[in-house]
Amino acid sequence: MSEFLGPLDAAGRVPARQQTRIASFLMSGHGALARQLAIAMPPHLRFGWQTEMHAQLYRETEVVSLLVHATSWVPDLEIPLLCLAWEAAWLPKPVADIKDRDQGLLIDTAALGHALHAAIRPAALLPLEAAAEDPFVLALRRIEFESSRMMQAQIQFLKSPQLLDVRDAVNAAVERRHAEVRRLWTALLESIGVTEG
Amino acid sequence: MAFLSFGSHTIRYDLSGPQKGPSYVLVNGLTQYSELWGVYREALTARNFRVLTFDLLGQGESDKPTLFINQDDHVAVLRPLIELVSDGPVFLAGISFGGLIALRYAIEQGDTLAGLVPMSTFAELSPQLLLIGNALRTGLILGGTSYLQDLLLPMNLSDSWLAPLMDKLDSVKRQGWLVNDVYALQNLMESFLDFNPLTPHLGSIRVPTMILNGEFDFLTPRALHDALRARIPDSALIIVPRAYHAFTLEKAALTADLLARFATDVLAGQWSGGGAVRVAPEEPGGDILPFPADFDHLRAIPVRKPTT
Repeated sequence: MSEFLGPLDAAGRVPARQQTRIASFLMSGHGALARQLAIAMPPHLRFGWQTEMHAQLYRETEVVSLLVHATSWVPDLEIPLLCLAWEAAWLPKPVADIKDRDQGLLIDTAALGHALHAAIRPAALLPLEAAAEDPFVLALRRIEFESSRMMQAQIQFLKSPQLLDVRDAVNAAVERRHAEVRRLWTALLESIGVTEG
Repeated sequence: MAFLSFGSHTIRYDLSGPQKGPSYVLVNGLTQYSELWGVYREALTARNFRVLTFDLLGQGESDKPTLFINQDDHVAVLRPLIELVSDGPVFLAGISFGGLIALRYAIEQGDTLAGLVPMSTFAELSPQLLLIGNALRTGLILGGTSYLQDLLLPMNLSDSWLAPLMDKLDSVKRQGWLVNDVYALQNLMESFLDFNPLTPHLGSIRVPTMILNGEFDFLTPRALHDALRARIPDSALIIVPRAYHAFTLEKAALTADLLARFATDVLAGQWSGGGAVRVAPEEPGGDILPFPADFDHLRAIPVRKPTT
């Protein structure tokens, strides 16, 4: 087990099997967020915050597209089964102690977005020797870099005054989504010989 | 390295030195982690102090609350940590954000301390500090931890420290970047940008207090430290020459020596703060000199105090 991806090849590239698994996981998570945002997106924007939702939708879509094109894919027979488990985890879940079902689902979507953007740090897996101009390496760096901006929308919503009365429920929902995302991410990394430092 | 349970969270800490005796508890600043006190651990344990360092809640390998964290949580974490060494005199020192936490602890639980050392810190946000803090937070959000480090390094360290490291700054930054997460740093910064000033409560700190301020500290300049000196009854302000905000990193041997001498003086009953302003030596072991009595220590040029 190592704290970083590798061993790198002579050109400083991450092994294709590791690329395939990491890209599959990230595409599943960010793809789920994109789908949830697309469903929630009204045909015509009526509120200011919906402009941020629109931006999020296309940034999530960009993450998926970037990984499709930047990854060196290899066949991996376990991916379909893994994907089933991941996709089941991303499904919207009601938040305990929130009576308004729609509000609860919105909180859960934001909590999932916060967890995927905050708890997953793909660039921190890259060893110092990783090829600086390799597309997959750059993709991981870009996803981590953009995540810190993307999670601002979730933070603003989850910490907003209108949710002050249900702060404990919000906090519990975010902690639960973080724990779930970390569990899946840690298991994925272990499957490719990486342990988080 | 050990872990302490605190509510639903765990705190990573390291305790070294003799089984009994006086202790120093050292509190980190933003983006720091326990290992950065390594020089202090060696220097202070060699002088028979126990040394307890830890990662703040939200930093390093301690738990990182996902959304909500406030200063009360940091002060609350200090209590069980200090209890670990409370069978002997405890000296509490903190740098920057850590200094603020140490001040709050001393206000609330001063009777559990033998001495206090706030370093590069503040009791309230001046307009400059508030604006800089907000800008640093925005920098973190827009550019990530690495960009925040890019801002902090030249602001807080001297040319002489940076010059030999210019071609390896990425590796200098890497460990801090690896162990710190943006959301956790953001939570931490926001907990420090929204707090009630401690200034009205400083008078309740009754323990001997040595305030350390770098000569060239741009982030928390002299006036913020002088506010501590003027209000904490048994305090003295020691100006660390040629030092910037992060002098605990840059001048670790000198600062460790100052900490040891302060605690030794307190334990021997020889400490006298008296609101004095003093100048630290350039090297460990040198004389601590009084600031020239006729001159204004708040000015950056030699200006005589106005005669009254």
